[in-house]
Amino acid sequence: MTVKALKAVSVGRNGVGAFILQCKRIDLHYCDWAGSSKGMNGFIKSLLPKFAAAHPQIEFTVSPRPSKHPVAIGHYINGKEKAICVRNMEPYEILKKVELLRDANGEKLKRLHKNVTSINESVRGVWSPYHGNGMQV
Amino acid sequence: MKRLRVDRWTGQLVTATRPGAAGVSSSAPRFRCVAASARRCQSTAAAAAVSESVAAAADLVDNNPRFPPLENLPPQVTSWPSPPPERALQSAKLAALHARLALSKKIPLQTLARTLVDASADPNPRFNNTNLAFVGQTLINYHVSEQLMIQYPRLPMEIFYAAMKGMAGPAPLFQIAKSWGIESAAVPGGEVDPGLLQFSLDATGDAILGFGYSRAEQKYIDKYKFRRSVASRVVFDDDFGDAITKTEFASNETEDDDHIHTNTSYGSATTRALAEKAHANHVRAVVGAIYTHCGREAVKAFVKAHVLSRKLDLHKLFVFSDPTRELSTLCAREDFEKPIARLLSETGRLSRTPVFVVGIFSGKDKLGEGSAASLDHARRKAAMNALKSWYLYSPGENVRVPSDMLNEETRPWEPAYIDIGEVIARGGNLRR
Repeated sequence: MTVKALKAVSVGRNGVGAFILQCKRIDLHYCDWAGSSKGMNGFIKSLLPKFAAAHPQIEFTVSPRPSKHPVAIGHYINGKEKAICVRNMEPYEILKKVELLRDANGEKLKRLHKNVTSINESVRGVWSPYHGNGMQV
Repeated sequence: MKRLRVDRWTGQLVTATRPGAAGVSSSAPRFRCVAASARRCQSTAAAAAVSESVAAAADLVDNNPRFPPLENLPPQVTSWPSPPPERALQSAKLAALHARLALSKKIPLQTLARTLVDASADPNPRFNNTNLAFVGQTLINYHVSEQLMIQYPRLPMEIFYAAMKGMAGPAPLFQIAKSWGIESAAVPGGEVDPGLLQFSLDATGDAILGFGYSRAEQKYIDKYKFRRSVASRVVFDDDFGDAITKTEFASNETEDDDHIHTNTSYGSATTRALAEKAHANHVRAVVGAIYTHCGREAVKAFVKAHVLSRKLDLHKLFVFSDPTRELSTLCAREDFEKPIARLLSETGRLSRTPVFVVGIFSGKDKLGEGSAASLDHARRKAAMNALKSWYLYSPGENVRVPSDMLNEETRPWEPAYIDIGEVIARGGNLRR
């Protein structure tokens, strides 16, 4: 028996094959009394039903948080969460923020230096100084 | 003669009945031998007192208009090991999971809820996911193995088993379940949200998954570490070439509880293994549910999208003990000229960091190339690369697999390439 095997686990790439939306839950907190929640209450009444119906893969929870500013919290598949305080915002501004939560992937914000990152092997191979005829200087 | 309806063969799994419980539908009250009281009490007097106080507290909570009950639960729900199927329709998590996986409307939420109940949480096969997971396991393993066999016809059996385990074993299925956003309940029970994965860390549950035989001499294999030949692994063992033991986690019972329930955030090795098993069984059960409700084509597309689309570098799985000997055996078998290693290029031979590039040639054909800091190492690397390029021969990415032929309007089957087998080098383990 000359060939032996190592253990390895396949790596998933979201969007290759199936796409799973990374935002799995959005919590919306409001206050019935405070003025900073006025926009949030309007959002919940007028815009949320349509938005929630368009995104069945996200679980929405709406709960009161008396005497506090309204907040929208997104929970992600990687276990992280992202909270946005939406005090004094208009319903359509809150909609923008909720769309931001929907589109985020839950990872920390970071600067990407490469336009494309891939785990595939390079098609052209890695340049080697030991092959070819070299270059005349 | 009646036509066989293959698509109906798993229909009984949806409403499985036990031989003694004929005529009981899955929504009927559940008859099981558990205590009627929700709480466990030391004596009956204490139980009565507790139930009275609980009822009083419940009254107070129910009548308070500021805090209406979130969900009207059946009175004895806490005594059941898993949530009743009708609660599946009220779970937001479950509906979200159904939409997130883009499942067909033919799959009801009750079935999806059932895929989340592990055998360790609810031993009753009418309510747990064992049967669906068995169907799903066979389907996943079938589709993965046919893809590997057709796409890489020369894979040695050891590598094939490792690749199967890396694509369809419990570890990758656990990762798939995690990527679906599956959350688990802390403790299973009738009152928990049906959208949470339910498994127990105390009871192990006996789910029979997959085909295979437990060997008669298994005790001696464990004790003396006998080598299991590849041929016997094909016959006796499971789809990943692992020996089938009667109870996988049987040793847990003898261990103390502290070892099992470690209070770290990651748990102990045992709890992690149990969680991995439960998550993997859930993924298998989802595949089984898709087959049961939607049929063959849907399940093939699902396995392709979620399991086969993941990346596994097969060339990283190989370990060679004597690559040069194996390569010369291969050349002799295939009537190639003898392999000869030639130095293609070098630099810094007398320096601290030399580089030698060695190619292995058979006649005028270059079989492989490797570069390393010593001549012998470079030659061995070249031989390994040559062997890998032989073993990883592939007729292409988009090969047709046998299950494509189950479709009725398809073009006729062209025979797939079948290799005569891996190279067996004599005395390969002399040097170890």
